[in-house]
Amino acid sequence: MVRAIPMTMNQMTTRALIALVCSLSSATAIAQETAPSPPSSDYVSRAEYDKLKAEHEAMKQELDALKETVKQLAGPSQAPEPSKQVSEEKQAVAVPPEAATEELRQEVETLKAQVKETFPGSTRFLLGGYGTAGFTARSGEDPFFDAAFNAIFLFKMTDRLLFEGELEFEFEDNQTTTNLEIAQVSYLLNDYMTIGLGRFLNPTNYFVERQHMNWVNKLPDKPLAVYDGLLPESELGGQLRGVIPIGATKLEYAAFVANAPGLITQSDDFSEIGMLDFDNDSNFGGHVAVGGHVGFIPIPQIEVGYGIQRSKVGPRDQAVEAILQSADFNYVQDSPLLKGLITARAQWVWSHVDRFVFDPDGEQGIGPLTFNNNRNGGYAQISYRPTHIDNDYLKNIEGVFRYDRFNQLHTPVGFDEQRFTIGLNYWVTPSAVLKLAYEFDEKNGGARDQDAFLMQAAVGF
Amino acid sequence: MKEIVVRIFKWIGLPGATIIISCIAITWLIGCATNKQSAEVAAGAAGKSGAQLWAENCVRCHNIRSPGSLSPVQWEVAMMHMRVRANLTPDEHKKILEFLKSSGG
Repeated sequence: MVRAIPMTMNQMTTRALIALVCSLSSATAIAQETAPSPPSSDYVSRAEYDKLKAEHEAMKQELDALKETVKQLAGPSQAPEPSKQVSEEKQAVAVPPEAATEELRQEVETLKAQVKETFPGSTRFLLGGYGTAGFTARSGEDPFFDAAFNAIFLFKMTDRLLFEGELEFEFEDNQTTTNLEIAQVSYLLNDYMTIGLGRFLNPTNYFVERQHMNWVNKLPDKPLAVYDGLLPESELGGQLRGVIPIGATKLEYAAFVANAPGLITQSDDFSEIGMLDFDNDSNFGGHVAVGGHVGFIPIPQIEVGYGIQRSKVGPRDQAVEAILQSADFNYVQDSPLLKGLITARAQWVWSHVDRFVFDPDGEQGIGPLTFNNNRNGGYAQISYRPTHIDNDYLKNIEGVFRYDRFNQLHTPVGFDEQRFTIGLNYWVTPSAVLKLAYEFDEKNGGARDQDAFLMQAAVGF
Repeated sequence: MKEIVVRIFKWIGLPGATIIISCIAITWLIGCATNKQSAEVAAGAAGKSGAQLWAENCVRCHNIRSPGSLSPVQWEVAMMHMRVRANLTPDEHKKILEFLKSSGG
């Protein structure tokens, strides 16, 4: 609904202007046709001159009368059948072409100004987002349906100023939850530098920034460690980002300062001890995280990147250092030879937190506890869609394979996990997809394997 | 030197190191393979049409959406968003936007 308003207003305005110009032009043309024919010879006699002068004076008076009539018609009390009346009067009056053109120009300018006042404003707005409905049957757990909806609000205030907001609505613990995913003001400082302030997707994490949207992600669930794992999904702070073209290649960069994650030092769930809490919006501990990402695009089909985030975590008087790193690789090739689109993506993340003594006096019954708090994990994924074959159904089918892994055996979690996932997608439109997938799960450390069957319908708009 | 490499491998793990090395190798190989046919590429965005840039940049993350799926005004907003998110150069942004607005948007 909102999307249609600017278009409709523009169309209406254009049509109104065209209609006005056409009607006045035709009226002028008719007036010109009905004007007296010029004398056949090059010279006029005094009598003819006096006659023409008298006619000119008469026409001026009629024109003034006509203007007065038009003014009255434009007012609230309109005479019956005004258009017919005006048309007849205009036909009877011969207005000099220059004067008529000038008058017409002035009227068009006035009308333009009036129409412009009805415009909704210079701010451009776009409402987008994506929605998801899914089903999960994982061994050892009750199967369940789920649904989520993300609304994205974009406001282009000027050619340099953009506001981006995203709200996520989903079911969680038998109730609908709302999360503010993004609330960022971006300003284009120059061609190569943009500053962003607010809550923004973590630029260190390529998957989160570019691939996590359900209509973009090619499998129903998200890779271990990369999403909801070792890197924050969003940051609260400020970032400076941009791109530098270097010949045929491009170098992307992003640097940010944000609230630091928290360190979980006590929890009812023992496995959470030592993990980083990325929902530390109140910035408990008062630390600051500094990070960034660089990406290199040697040819349009390939992008490689590296990101790092560094901060102190934990209580102010016992803070330790945390370093999070990520390496990403993306290859997308539309291949006529293989008659389709091939994508290969991979990302690996590492998390290191300096040694910390948890529950030093044994009050929680778990300490004193200290361990080597290093974790890592990531994924590699390939997909193929035969976009170049002629069959309308087969060209919309896509096969996907993903390997993902999460190593945290020597932490309170106590196991490593790896999964092999095969998926089959059907693209109804470029941004609407039905996904089916089966996941083979393997864990060590005595944990139970949990294979899963997943279904998802996702729509981007 | 060897000790440093071993320490890096130990720290990031074998799968991580394998992925990084594979990515570097694939990048290098594809870079070499496409080097000869890169007269057009060498010109960067300056030598490419809006349609070509649209296909190359958008598909790196997601399927290409029809130019007619948004109005010209909406494309202006969406493209500014993409310029920031996907790090488009000003030239790429301008050409792609012109293409989208003139192709049914």
